[in-house]
Amino acid sequence: MTAPKRWLPFTVKTVLLVLLLLWTLVPIVWMVLSSFKPNSVITANTPRIFFTPTLEHYASLFSGGNSLWPYLMNSLSIAGVSTLIAVVLGCMAGFGLSRIRLKGKKHLAFWIISTRMAPIAAVIVPMYLLFRYLYLLDTYAGLIVAYLSFNLPFAIWLMTAFFDDLPPDLEEAAMIDGATKFQAFRYVVLPLMTPGLVTTAILCFIFAWNDYAFAQTFSGPSTQTIPIAAAQLLTQTGIDWGKLLAIGTVVVCPMAIAGLLVKRWMVQGLTLGAVK
Amino acid sequence: MATLQLDNIIKDFGSTRVLKGIDLEVKDREFVVFVGPSGCGKSTLLRTIAGLESASSGDIKINGQRVNEIGPAERGLAMVFQSYALYPHMSVEDNMGFSLRLAKVPRAERREKIRAAARILQLEELLDRKPRALSGGQRQRVAIGRAIVRNPSIFLFDEPLSNLDAALRVQMRIELTRLHHELNATMIYVTHDQVEAMTMADKIVVLQGGSVEQIGSPMELYHHPRNRFVAGFIGSPKMNFLDVEVHGVGPTGVDLALPGGACRIPVVGDDINVGDTLTLGIRPEHLKLDDHGSLEGDIVLTERLGGVTSLYLDHLGKEWILVADGNIVHRVHERVRFSFDPSCAHLFKSNGQSLDRLQRHPLAGVECEGSRVNAI
Ligand SMILES: Nc1ncnc2c1ncn2[C@@H]1O[C@H](COP(=O)(O)OP(=O)(O)O)[C@@H](O)[C@H]1O
Ligand SMILES: [Mg+2]
Repeated sequence: MTAPKRWLPFTVKTVLLVLLLLWTLVPIVWMVLSSFKPNSVITANTPRIFFTPTLEHYASLFSGGNSLWPYLMNSLSIAGVSTLIAVVLGCMAGFGLSRIRLKGKKHLAFWIISTRMAPIAAVIVPMYLLFRYLYLLDTYAGLIVAYLSFNLPFAIWLMTAFFDDLPPDLEEAAMIDGATKFQAFRYVVLPLMTPGLVTTAILCFIFAWNDYAFAQTFSGPSTQTIPIAAAQLLTQTGIDWGKLLAIGTVVVCPMAIAGLLVKRWMVQGLTLGAVK
Repeated sequence: MATLQLDNIIKDFGSTRVLKGIDLEVKDREFVVFVGPSGCGKSTLLRTIAGLESASSGDIKINGQRVNEIGPAERGLAMVFQSYALYPHMSVEDNMGFSLRLAKVPRAERREKIRAAARILQLEELLDRKPRALSGGQRQRVAIGRAIVRNPSIFLFDEPLSNLDAALRVQMRIELTRLHHELNATMIYVTHDQVEAMTMADKIVVLQGGSVEQIGSPMELYHHPRNRFVAGFIGSPKMNFLDVEVHGVGPTGVDLALPGGACRIPVVGDDINVGDTLTLGIRPEHLKLDDHGSLEGDIVLTERLGGVTSLYLDHLGKEWILVADGNIVHRVHERVRFSFDPSCAHLFKSNGQSLDRLQRHPLAGVECEGSRVNAI
């Protein structure tokens, strides 16, 4: 190929990529930047890129009567526990589903993931009524169950796909080497599943962390999560932009890190030269 | 001391019967090869012996003891997988020592056994590497080493050489035979390659469609194939076949009328009648160019290997192969006459069964001797 022919598509690709990056990153960068601006700069008519950074919004977030700490702890523990349960159960169920010989296995797997496809709007009212009868409103358990109902099928489905990629030869070799089924799982399968487990965990955590609808409906004064705290800032007299931007930054940070982690693990091959 | 006995093993996957009643006896220290075309059930049979599949019916006995209900871990066998199935997250040393670790063998003893196996397989420098840092041949060795360390009663191999290149395959073939004698172990080896079967086996089990076609020593299968399938499968290039009519039957053989004259094949023709149609089978290496021969054909293709030349002939509309001397000068499109020694020819009935020969070949029944291996 000659240079001019390649030159054009390359430019087009670069331009498109730059546009896409601007489109995606500018609002986030602007939010993070602005969260360090004093109020006068935030509301100034001409946007400013250079300013003296301040931590005043973060300080006011984490101190005083309406501190963000309890919300943060609620979010972390609810998302964390529901993720842990989803990954542990999803791992075991996924292994079983991947290895079992069963007629109509595909249908079973599809049925499981199909429960994940239900729109939240359709299930939220029935769930609210159920939770009220079961005294699960305004409890950690309630929200954990709510997130599990969506994350568990997803975790099972994703882990099944990861296990499908792992040749059964390895477990069989372990069993011939004298391992019990559980030992084969523990010493051979599980160590090779780290990428799958991390990926699943991060995706489940993101769902619970980002959720607003369930938290808004099922939580009470003692179980509200960060998205609820952020929303509350909008309904008070006027909008406290500085605080809102700071909360936004706090919410986005773990997700950005998680995103990078998922990419690292997902790219990593599963079998690492086990076969051939 | 390890023997294996299979009694009428049947294996169904759902409604498909993959093994249709397999009977087999494996003697102590025997090298048995399962050979057959792809999909005939070799792997399934091996996995059933290993305990990775359960037999739908029939008995599996190791050292006379029924093991159907015993799991793979307790059968005391070792298996080398076609894919090698090395644990990717463990070093070569840990791969080889995994079974010992599970058996709670003390570290020092474990090391010693691993070193010993590594020495046999020339793996000593690689013990710290991960499988992904090994070549195909080295992975193969590690997989075999893992089996040796376990000191199994029976070794099982499922097409272990099929992922190696041709030169390495030949080398490993010799090495496995040597290993068999060094370890004095019972080995069962699965392959679809009849050359591997012929060169390594004490006893070959030819499988087709889930049934045993014939069991015997390599020379027995070569000289006395029980049916047309075995005759065509064993030997390379393949046996030539021709439908012929019977002109006479006597105590010294069956008379045939061939295009270039009559001939008598020394086989038992008890239930054969004049006028029956049989199939004549002659191996390419038993045909010889002969200006007065009773058969003739046009050369379609020549393959010169130097020492020998394969002639592909159009013989009465069928493709026949003749293996001739490497120095012949015949060319494509030439018409040649050729003949064969009737005592080397085979006759098959229309149902594929072969007619027994009047005389047994002196080498048939002789098993692969140790002397051949020691000479290497
Ligand atoms: N788990 C299984 N479920 C259903 N059919 C199987 C399974 N494993 C093997 N088969 C079938 O059994 C037959 C024999 O397979 P296999 O033993 O692998 O053949 P080979 O090793 O001789 O090539 C094939 O037709 C294959 O499709
Ligand atoms: Mg196979």
